[in-house]
Amino acid sequence: MPDTNKVNYWKLITNGIVKENTIFRLALSLCPSIAVTNNLKNGVLMGSAVLFVQVMVNITISLMRKVIHPKIRLPIFMLVISGWVTITDMTMAAAVPDVYKQMGLYIQLIVAFASILARAEMFASKNKFAPSMADGIGFGAGFLFALTVISFFRELLGRGSLWGMPIIHAKPLLIMIMPAGGFFAVGILMAAFNWFDAKYLGKGARASHYSH
Amino acid sequence: MTGKDILKITLNLVIVYLIGGLILAFVYAKTSPIMFQNNKIAKEKALKELMPEADKIEKAGDWTIHEKPAEYFAAKKGDEVIGYVVQSFGKGYSSYIDILIAVDKGFKVQKINILHHAETPGLGDEIETVSFKGQFKDKDIEHLKVLKTDTTEFIQAISGATISSRAVTEDAVKKGVEFLIKTIKEGGAGNAGHKQS
Repeated sequence: MPDTNKVNYWKLITNGIVKENTIFRLALSLCPSIAVTNNLKNGVLMGSAVLFVQVMVNITISLMRKVIHPKIRLPIFMLVISGWVTITDMTMAAAVPDVYKQMGLYIQLIVAFASILARAEMFASKNKFAPSMADGIGFGAGFLFALTVISFFRELLGRGSLWGMPIIHAKPLLIMIMPAGGFFAVGILMAAFNWFDAKYLGKGARASHYSH
Repeated sequence: MTGKDILKITLNLVIVYLIGGLILAFVYAKTSPIMFQNNKIAKEKALKELMPEADKIEKAGDWTIHEKPAEYFAAKKGDEVIGYVVQSFGKGYSSYIDILIAVDKGFKVQKINILHHAETPGLGDEIETVSFKGQFKDKDIEHLKVLKTDTTEFIQAISGATISSRAVTEDAVKKGVEFLIKTIKEGGAGNAGHKQS
């Protein structure tokens, strides 16, 4: 690609999806990756909510980065995150009550997600508006991707269905939808993700990642 | 830390939290009436769905379960009472499950509707599925019992969510129906009419 600017944004986005995938690479926010991935619908809805909050928080923090005193940046980040989560929560409850009925259980949990605070601190507080937005999209999409893959396998194996529709007509492996199955799924998929990345996508970049 | 720093930090926090609070207050003021309205509509709709053949569902009184206030209703077709609807709560795995239960004149369950719960997503929230709720059709109080084996006579537990299944069946629904029988059969409150204008 000739335009160097565009290459940078693309890199920022794929960085969050592959190279520094929140769950498969950084192993952050593993709690939701186990708690809400026992069926595909939950995983996708939760991932989408996180994507939205991640982008909005990154944008807000980026715009505010010059006026925040560094000593109190964390309380301010927390306010921005919980503010956006609450706004999302209330708006959805009012605008789309049907969807909210299914997602309401999870939205408030986003406040405590390490991944969102991590991107606010590591990236948005040091970068301009546009890159911060791209970073938010990347990490949010990476999270959505991870949750979708995990919940896809857990629902398929644990319940024999996808998005509530029966697919496999056999006795399912019930353990896959229990918490223990969450650990199995995350661990095995994390290994698969790393193997695939090392074999087909990686160019030795991982070595520097794990050397220290 | 100099005095200037302290001043800046104080100002920073005050301004940011003030703006944050104002934005949240604004969003809340805009959304809460809609949410209230939505809940009201949802409850009316839930009542109607429970007793589609009734043309009037009137509140008959209040009662409490698990120290929570609940209501009960008389469903009428013309002037004749054709059944009752009672709101009830069951103590689930991680929440109180808020349920509406419709019974016919013989106090057999016709339909149940889960209004609110916060059970484990993917396990306990299966109580909302039609296949679970459908089991309650025509069950009388003796048959409101959860079994872990295949059953059509009783209520079959959701695999992996026995506590939630029990909470719905043996706590909320059973107690709700028991209350109705006690109040209406013996007290006669429902038959007396509780005429409301």
